[in-house]
This record gives sequence, C-alpha cells and structure tokens, in this order.
Amino acid sequence: MSGEQATGGAQRHQADLPDDGRSPSAAGRRFGATELPPQMQRVVKKAIVLEWVTLGVMALTITAVGIVMGSSQAMRAAWIEDLLSLIPPIAFLVAIRVINRPPSRNRPYGNHRAVGVGHLVASVALLVMGALLVVDSALGLITGEHPPIGTFHLFGQTVWQGWFMIGIMLLSVPGPVILGRMKLKLAEQLHDKVLYADADMNTADWQTGLATAVGVAGVGLGLWWFDAAAALFVGASILKDGLSNVATAITDLADSRARELEGTGPHPLISELEHCAQTTDWVEQAGARVRDEGHVFHVELFVVPRSAGGTAGGAGTGSHAAGARPAPVPVDVRALEELRGRIVDLDWKLEDVVVVPVTELPQEVRPSPDN
Amino acid sequence: MTPPLLRSGAPRPLRLTLAAVAVSLALTGCTSSGYPADPDGTLDSISGGTLRAGVSHHPPHVDARGAEPTGPEAELIRGFAAAHDAEVEWTVSSEESLMTALEKGDLDLVAGGLTTSSPWTSHAALTRGYTEVTGPDGEPVELAMAVPLGENQMLGALEAHLDQEGQQ
Repeated sequence: MSGEQATGGAQRHQADLPDDGRSPSAAGRRFGATELPPQMQRVVKKAIVLEWVTLGVMALTITAVGIVMGSSQAMRAAWIEDLLSLIPPIAFLVAIRVINRPPSRNRPYGNHRAVGVGHLVASVALLVMGALLVVDSALGLITGEHPPIGTFHLFGQTVWQGWFMIGIMLLSVPGPVILGRMKLKLAEQLHDKVLYADADMNTADWQTGLATAVGVAGVGLGLWWFDAAAALFVGASILKDGLSNVATAITDLADSRARELEGTGPHPLISELEHCAQTTDWVEQAGARVRDEGHVFHVELFVVPRSAGGTAGGAGTGSHAAGARPAPVPVDVRALEELRGRIVDLDWKLEDVVVVPVTELPQEVRPSPDN
Repeated sequence: MTPPLLRSGAPRPLRLTLAAVAVSLALTGCTSSGYPADPDGTLDSISGGTLRAGVSHHPPHVDARGAEPTGPEAELIRGFAAAHDAEVEWTVSSEESLMTALEKGDLDLVAGGLTTSSPWTSHAALTRGYTEVTGPDGEPVELAMAVPLGENQMLGALEAHLDQEGQQ
C-alpha cells in the first residue's frame, strides 16, 4: 500500500463527516465541515449581535458628527474615519455567512478563506484610516493650517461649535471602548481575525474621538496646531495596527504557518498535535504543515512509521537514507485513521486533517532550532 | 496567549477619558482673553484699536465708489467696529487681492457680497450665512464675511454680531 492511497482514505473519511450523524446538533451554525461545539455556537451568535450593535452605534455617531461637523476639516476627517469603521463589521457579517456553507465538490476546502479575505478587507480599512489621519494632520502641521471653528446660533444665543464637537466626541468614546473589549474576548475564543481587526478599529475609533476632543479644546485655547498634533499621535498608532493586521492577513492568505491571533508566534496547537503524533507508539517521527484557513486549520501531518522490526529498525526509516533503500514498511490504514481522529478531537479548529505516511519527513516540517 | 491582546485594557480608556476631560477643563479654565482664543490675537488687536476691513465693490451689498464704502455690509462692519471700540481702516480692492491680504495677515475682515458657497474656504474662514438674498442667477444665496483662518474668537465675535444685526 502506498502513502497516496492512505492519504486518500483519510480525505474520504473527512468528506463523509457531515453525513455520518456524529453530532446531534447538526442544525446549528457551522464553519463549513466543522460543527461548532455548543459553547462556540453561543460565541458566534454573540459576535454577530455585537457586530449589529456596532453598526447601529456607528450609524448614530456618523449622523451626529455629520450634523455638527460644519466646515471643520478635523471633524470631516473624524467623520470619514467613522465611515471607514463600518467596513470591518460588514466584512465579519459577510464572512460568517459565507463560511456557513459546507464543503462541496467544487469547493473541497470549504469557504473558510472568506474569513481571510474579510480580515484583509478590515485590515486595509484600518490602514487607510491611519494613513489618512497621519497624512492629513502632518500636512496641516507642515502648511501651518489654522483650523477655523465657528459658532452655532441656538435659541438666540451664539454658541461656539467647539463645545458641540467636544461633547459629541466624548459621547462617542464609551461605545467603541465597550464593544472593542467584548470583541477582543470573542475573537480569542473563535480565533477570528476579522473580529480582532474590528476590535482594533474600535480602539482606533475611541482614540480618535478623544484626540479630536482634546485637539478642539486646544484649538479653542488658541493653539492652532493642537488638533493636528493630537490626530498625528493617534494616527501613527492606528497606522501601525493597520500595517501589522495587513501583514498578518496577507501572510495567512499566502499559506504561512498558522500563528496566534496577533500574528506573533506559531499557534500552540501545531506543537500540540505534533506531540500527539510523536507520542503514538507506531510513529517514529512526525511533523505537520498547518495553515490558517480562517477560523479553522488545514493540517497535513507527515508520519514516519516504525519498521516492523521494532525501535531498532527505526534508524533505517529515518532521515538518513544512505545507500540501499530499506525493506517496505507496512502501514495500517486503521491506525492512520485512529491517529487522525485523535488529532481532530484535540480542538474544534482541527477538522480538516490529512495524515500522510512517509519514509522521510519533508524538510519544511522538520523541527528547526529557531521555532 | 492573552496578555499581549489585552494590553489595551479597560483602565486605559477610562484613564485617558478622565485625563482628556481634565485637560479640556484646565485648558478652558486658564484662559483670560476669552475662549475660544485667536492664535494671532486678531480680536484683541481690534478691540480699542483698528479694524482693517477689506471690501470689494458689489452692489447692492457694498458700494465702494465713494470716499467711504457704503451699503448694508459696510454698515455691519462699522457696527462691529463700534461694538469693539475700533476705528475702521478701509481697503477697497478685488476679491482675490483682498483674500491674499487676509491670508497674509494684512487684513482682519473681508466682505463684499461673499456667500457661504464662496470658493475661498482654504484661504479664509467664512462666517455662517447671516442673511438670505437673491443671487445673480435668481437662486437664494446666503451672505457671509471672511476672517483670517483659525482666528476663532474673531470668527465667533463677528458671527454673534451678524446674528444680532445681520437680518435684512
């Protein structure tokens, strides 16, 4: 029996999964072939509600800011940023709908990549917002632009427009703070990078709101550069967030190794599942190629079985195949499937798992000293 | 794996908001020359001094053919100057050269049939429209005046004056 046949067997098993009635809650929300555990179903529902609430809050803010912005360039910038912050929630809501579809003949990997695309869209929105703020405020500082803030005529009184701007901006702070923190928690549980980027966007929102309030107060004091300086300060941090999110989104779409949510280290599940394979009694060596498809991982696990002779024979099947090839090693298909099942059971993110028996581990899955 | 994510934790926004409110209050509290203030002190220099007003001939709002400009907008400017114990120093020229002078800081105020849809907003701060008149094409337009960009105390004072006296 060849390695290819065994792999094929594992994939057929995978394709049969949705129909084999393994889970009674098949009617619930799913990530393609992956049936979510009940607590994850609740997390997804909560995230969807949060995103709708976000859209509602943003719509209110956009209307309010639109009314008081007048001819102020600073307020116009804040307003455009509010418009941009509609993009991540929409990206999330679209992605979560798309990935609900199970894999099919034409889409054998499912539609998980919608999450990656949503993450890229949300990250670009964040990046554009940061870049707009930085460029706009830097230009304002360089050209010495003195922002004019006039008055409103209300009930026979002439009132400085700045008060309304400060008021609206301070009122717009608590919403994104609360929503952003709630999303961050859900993003971790779901391993959802769109939600993560959206939480970053909420952070950007409230920081911009505060900066505008302080900036307008400073302008009122006669410090014309105050608004631009505050916006530049906040814009730089948003730009940095946007850049790191775009980088993560692109490398994820380009099949880099699955990493933690913020894109720093390799995802701990990789070493966990490799360890699970390596400690199996018939496995000599194991290494996995794991890519992040969105919420779920696509795993190709390469295993070098021990030869029939026992541990001592393992040296012959190892990485140094010098000279004549050793005798063929029999592979037990049921053992492969059993290993696959144990890996699937490790975490709900691990569903699309392929176990490939090999005589030698491919270079790219061997443990390297730098990870 | 949580700590790096949660670095933007709850206390920080709260602290920052309180700091922002405190800074705003401190900023507004410690001003003696009024709030909002003029970065270049335009209103301060006018009060008890000279209002350098630029007008262009634009009947019926400003008639600049005589020795002293006349018309409702010229009267509004005289009234504004009087309210701040100021003498008016008139400059009569084309709109473009007036705007250039305003931007350079050689004028404190420009008027002469300017409307809220004036294209000069990157060179000057326009007041709110203070009255509605019929424009050259028969459509209603709102008259406005121009002050130097970012001189917000001046802008507010002029808008308040126009709110009281500007109805035609």
